[in-house]
Amino acid sequence: MANAKISSVVGRYVSFDVEEEEYKVFYLENGTGQPLVCQHTAGCHNHQWRGLLEDEEITENYRVIAYDLPRHGKSDPPLNKEWWKEEYKLTADFFTKFIVAFCDALELENPIFMGSSFGGNVALQLALHYPDRFDAVIPVEGADYSPGFYLDWWQHPHANAAQVCASGVWDLMAPQSPDKERWATWFYYSQGAEAFKGDLYYYSVDHDLRGKLEQIQGDKVKVVMLTGSYDYLTPPEAGKRTASQIKNAEFIEMEGIGHFPMSENHEEFRKYLLQALSAIHGVKA
Amino acid sequence: MTVTTTNDWSNRFKELNDSNEELNAHGKYFSCSYLLDMETTKILVQTHGGKIEKITMDPGPLDPYQFAIRASQDTWSKFSMPTPPPMYHGIFAASFQRDMKLEGDLLVLMQNLRCLTTQLELLRVVGIPA
Repeated sequence: MANAKISSVVGRYVSFDVEEEEYKVFYLENGTGQPLVCQHTAGCHNHQWRGLLEDEEITENYRVIAYDLPRHGKSDPPLNKEWWKEEYKLTADFFTKFIVAFCDALELENPIFMGSSFGGNVALQLALHYPDRFDAVIPVEGADYSPGFYLDWWQHPHANAAQVCASGVWDLMAPQSPDKERWATWFYYSQGAEAFKGDLYYYSVDHDLRGKLEQIQGDKVKVVMLTGSYDYLTPPEAGKRTASQIKNAEFIEMEGIGHFPMSENHEEFRKYLLQALSAIHGVKA
Repeated sequence: MTVTTTNDWSNRFKELNDSNEELNAHGKYFSCSYLLDMETTKILVQTHGGKIEKITMDPGPLDPYQFAIRASQDTWSKFSMPTPPPMYHGIFAASFQRDMKLEGDLLVLMQNLRCLTTQLELLRVVGIPA
């Protein structure tokens, strides 16, 4: 077929345990070089990183790896547990242990971790608790504390949860972001209602680093925070406030972008990401 | 666009709504009534099956509606700009970060959220009543 084109992005599964639980985790990857491990946002999946995964300027120098957190996309809930008999509530403890176990399973050396929203928050947790495992972290749309989004509306039985989740995050995106990319992000969010609320337990309840940021060893694990100007949950002032309390951290505000930068507008996001990567290597050089 | 009378505004809003491709594609069950409280102006919007059934400017005290979206005129003016500034770009954004209030039966709001969002963004085409 004349127009067929096979992408250089590949998808694989990796099986490993997190404490007593067995997981089979799906991830997409492309590129060679220092691992750049990417976490999607709450209630979503790794396709949010579709632009980055095929961004040749990045993949020339980085091995971009975007996984699906268990219960998202193609990563199932724990295989050896009757998970349906419990209410799903993600915790900082599990989230960080899972990410470290994933990096260990792939034998990643000196990775940079980047996550958005609850992924941005967990990047801060990784910097605090695992400074020896990561070269640097890039919290995107993260903050020390982000209350207010652990809501029953995401799973209300009298409303269409798929649409409530998808349209409930619509104005987390900037109106300037291309319609095509915003609607793709909306579409992903229509698929994740069941995990969204449990993810937000971590995002808005269990994640609270107020008073602990000064413990992050920013000279060991570089922290570069990126926040979009249209993010109403973790607005630029929240990112700035957080970065200002972390040793050696940097904060970059992204103009005209919202809470899902890599998914709603990769072309704008990549400019800031390149700045963040330069800041990381500038310090390390 | 200059809107000279509230009647012109109502007609224009209805015309835009009823011809909107998204609402025509997805609005089959989009039925609700709500109040837009803009401080100096109040608008009661009644929608049935995705089409505007009735728009009442400055409704009376006993006119019923299911939920209300209230904010200052300044907030609504910014919300209605073709490209709204940050924190005025949606009803959740303006409720979390500015003076917008969501009141009444929010379940109805949530049940209609997809089409309601599209309908409210028509304000970025027609503007708010003069």
